[in-house]
Amino acid sequence: MLEVRGLSIAFASPTGFTPVTREVSFSIAPGERLGVVGESGCGKSVTGLSILGLLPRRHSRVTGEILFDGEDLNRMSPDQMRAVRGRKIGMIFQEPMTALDPVFTIGEQIGEAYRQHFPVSRAQARERVIEALARVGIPLPARRHDEYPHQLSGGMRQRVMIAMALICEPRLLIADEPTTALDVTVQAQITDLLLELSSTQGTALMFITHDLGVVAEVCTRMVTMYAGEVVEDAPTDEALLRPRHPYTSGLLRSLPRLAQRKANRCSRGLRRSAVCAARGLPRSSCRGRWHERADHAGAAGARSQDSLRHPRAGRHGQGRGWCEL
Amino acid sequence: MSFDVQAGETFGVIGESGSGKTTIGRALVSLLKPTAGTMLHDGQNLAALSANQLRKARRAYQIVFQDPSAALNPRQTILDSVCEPLEIQGGLSRIEREARAIEALGRVGIASEYARRYPHMLSGGQKQRVNIARVLTLRPRLIVCDEVVAALDVSIRGDVLNLFAELQRDFGLTYVFITHDLSVVAHVSDRVAVTYLGRFVELGPTEAINEAPLHPYTQALMSAEPVALPSHLRTTQRIVLEGEIPSPIDPPSGCRFRTRCRHAQAECASREPEWRELRPGHFVACHFAKS
Repeated sequence: MLEVRGLSIAFASPTGFTPVTREVSFSIAPGERLGVVGESGCGKSVTGLSILGLLPRRHSRVTGEILFDGEDLNRMSPDQMRAVRGRKIGMIFQEPMTALDPVFTIGEQIGEAYRQHFPVSRAQARERVIEALARVGIPLPARRHDEYPHQLSGGMRQRVMIAMALICEPRLLIADEPTTALDVTVQAQITDLLLELSSTQGTALMFITHDLGVVAEVCTRMVTMYAGEVVEDAPTDEALLRPRHPYTSGLLRSLPRLAQRKANRCSRGLRRSAVCAARGLPRSSCRGRWHERADHAGAAGARSQDSLRHPRAGRHGQGRGWCEL
Repeated sequence: MSFDVQAGETFGVIGESGSGKTTIGRALVSLLKPTAGTMLHDGQNLAALSANQLRKARRAYQIVFQDPSAALNPRQTILDSVCEPLEIQGGLSRIEREARAIEALGRVGIASEYARRYPHMLSGGQKQRVNIARVLTLRPRLIVCDEVVAALDVSIRGDVLNLFAELQRDFGLTYVFITHDLSVVAHVSDRVAVTYLGRFVELGPTEAINEAPLHPYTQALMSAEPVALPSHLRTTQRIVLEGEIPSPIDPPSGCRFRTRCRHAQAECASREPEWRELRPGHFVACHFAKS
């Protein structure tokens, strides 16, 4: 359904265009749930924004193809793009408080998204909005319709964002860190809701996050990005069990785990082994796959700490990862 | 709430936003005065001290905040920020202060060439290191860490947690680790307290809570934590809590968790559960918890 081919994004800077992502390629099938993971600054959000054409045109340069049902979104005029945005592809942003306008009621804001694409009266739109609010599990939807964002809790606001993104029943939903600002228990509610909606309505999901745990629970496939490039693309279970790229493995290792603590109990010094920095030289107690990467970077003729941040090392790694796949 | 923190241990406090965990942390370092009850640091009640005495005493009890950028003055160099606590303490010359600050920065892995830079020139992880260096200059005995890694990336998070473990080993520090992230708390803490709406619902050794949580809230919290494991390796059944944490201004009667609890019964609304020691060192506040 969505196919991204060789997507490169560059931002204008005083010294010309600075590349942000290079040759990003991936695809999403109808109804598929794809996780895009990586640290901040690796280009995952920018990739999401570029699909919807939300990057400022004057200050960014997007090259490559973004094929949605065979049409290249990257070549569309702003008018054509407006017909796609919200209608065919919905988006949820990380921070619901900044994404919602504080001076309009949530009903007005969701209704606006709907009326943009469907020629309906205000009264009809209101009905649709109340339905949508009920569907995302907001109690008393008719009352909530006329409330302002500040009257809702963080979890409720994120539900409003989901209702807004889904009201036109888009075929693809791009969710950019939708649960990062929420508590664990509320996060569980929201991920369950997204899972349920995506399976009942057949909406494909592009889930951008840095939380591998959430990806493991929500997504069927996982794309790992590093320094603006895709370094691994594999089914989630496969990627978690046998990460092919050292960076994915490093990310996995850097997670503090509940179960691992017991093993580290014997001495405090060993605690390091579980929490291992994905950046920098390998800790002496943390070898294996990550070490492989250090060797690898060493071959590139630089100290691994420096070269890891360098895009070339990532590209190098990508080639290798690809071969192994 | 009653609890004690032993010298050299890491005491974890977890809870959702609005559960009062940050308030505990602030009270521990006398940024807030307790409305009722007392808090003794080495047998000394900080709240009863005069302002002058308090200023001296609190040097041993420091806090590191959640947002590393907000905690640093953007118009001061890193070195000035790190020197400031020493300046307030007095008794050292400028050169001595700077030497000590640079030593502290080196200890947390910030090279001395960064010392003259301003906060905006550093990454989030580096800024958090600077904050840690700043509290280290006063040679504290207790450090309250309030969501210290919440604003950091996973990989850097690991780094900073490692640094904390290292400093604890080298300086014999005591930590109170406040976080909403279960995996972080379980990783660093010796004992964990679970807060809900301003009360402790469970307190016990990390392993005990990890393996067999007694309170239904802890159970739900643990099961809600997403684990990065392939589907066939995930065993725990998710307990999804309904709704959100009620307002602390008008908490539910009896057990505060009853509005979201799976096992709630009539008794829970009428009577507040006692704080019981079900296993040695493992406390819980629930009518129905069994060891």
